[in-house]
Amino acid sequence: MDDVLDEVVSSEDLQKFEKVFHEQLHQGKVTHKAQFEYAWCLVRSKYPTDIRKGILLLKELFNSHPEGKRDYLFYLAIGNARIKEYNKASHYVKSFLEIEPANQQVLALERQINKRMEKEGLLEIAFCSSDECRCRRSSLL
Amino acid sequence: MDYVTTLKILVIGESGVGKSSMILAFTTGDYNASFPATIGVDYKCKVMEVNGLKVKLGIWDTAGQERYRTLTNSFYRDAHGAILVYDVSEPKTLAKLNEWVEELQVYSTKKNIVCLVVGNKIDKPRVVPREAGQAFAMKHRMLFIESSAKTQEGINLAFEELVQKIIETPGLWESTGSSSNIRVSNEERRKQEESSCYDYTCTI
Repeated sequence: MDDVLDEVVSSEDLQKFEKVFHEQLHQGKVTHKAQFEYAWCLVRSKYPTDIRKGILLLKELFNSHPEGKRDYLFYLAIGNARIKEYNKASHYVKSFLEIEPANQQVLALERQINKRMEKEGLLEIAFCSSDECRCRRSSLL
Repeated sequence: MDYVTTLKILVIGESGVGKSSMILAFTTGDYNASFPATIGVDYKCKVMEVNGLKVKLGIWDTAGQERYRTLTNSFYRDAHGAILVYDVSEPKTLAKLNEWVEELQVYSTKKNIVCLVVGNKIDKPRVVPREAGQAFAMKHRMLFIESSAKTQEGINLAFEELVQKIIETPGLWESTGSSSNIRVSNEERRKQEESSCYDYTCTI
């Protein structure tokens, strides 16, 4: 394992926190803690459908529980990077760095995301989503 | 792959004692005065040489915050070594290490895991005497060292002592080389050779 993006949740953990979450769901009241713990496992799953589900739960938390924002932003970046949504991942990293510009953990994550983008040849596509590129494209048309 | 084995090192202790600062000081030599709380679990690796053997350390930096306590348990699995950190200027961080020792006993899976107690922040006015940390470590049969991530004092020594002890513990670690019983397929070997992991190499 070379970086945090390679880390995969154990199935025991996923099941354990899934159970707690579903129990609370049936009782009609899910705590922030239970939702975060389950989402934290989901975004570290090897299955993209789990990761997407985790991202939805984190987005919900992000909008409803301001105290945990930095944690949610961080794992939103991890989840998106793991399903190769690198532009979204970079967006979350940048939002985080606006609040804590010198955060080593997040700067390291940014390097890892960039490294993967480069490796997968996606940098060009990423640039194309910027206005500059849209202009360049439209001038070509 | 130019190292003989990969060792999993876990760093635990209360929030704010300097776990991440120690790891940063060890892996890069840098120091950051205002270190924000670690989110979840962070991971760093470094290749170091012990007794002429190159060893890759995978260092797991766990969040000390209460909200992560239930989540970080699973990272204790298969750890070869654990560093339990307290702050010499905050007596309650040493008292609280008892809870971390309990967690370690419950969740670590290797029964001869090597543990090191570190009294960090010796650059600050000391409240906890060295003897108190030493007694705690002795009681739990752990190694002991004092350090300052700010001045670098004791940082390399802490990791060196821990890794040295792990290497000297028979049956605790396995060689990843060709002499091992585990066969590594060409594909896996190629992947390992490719891996770069922002390595920093240090020599003892």
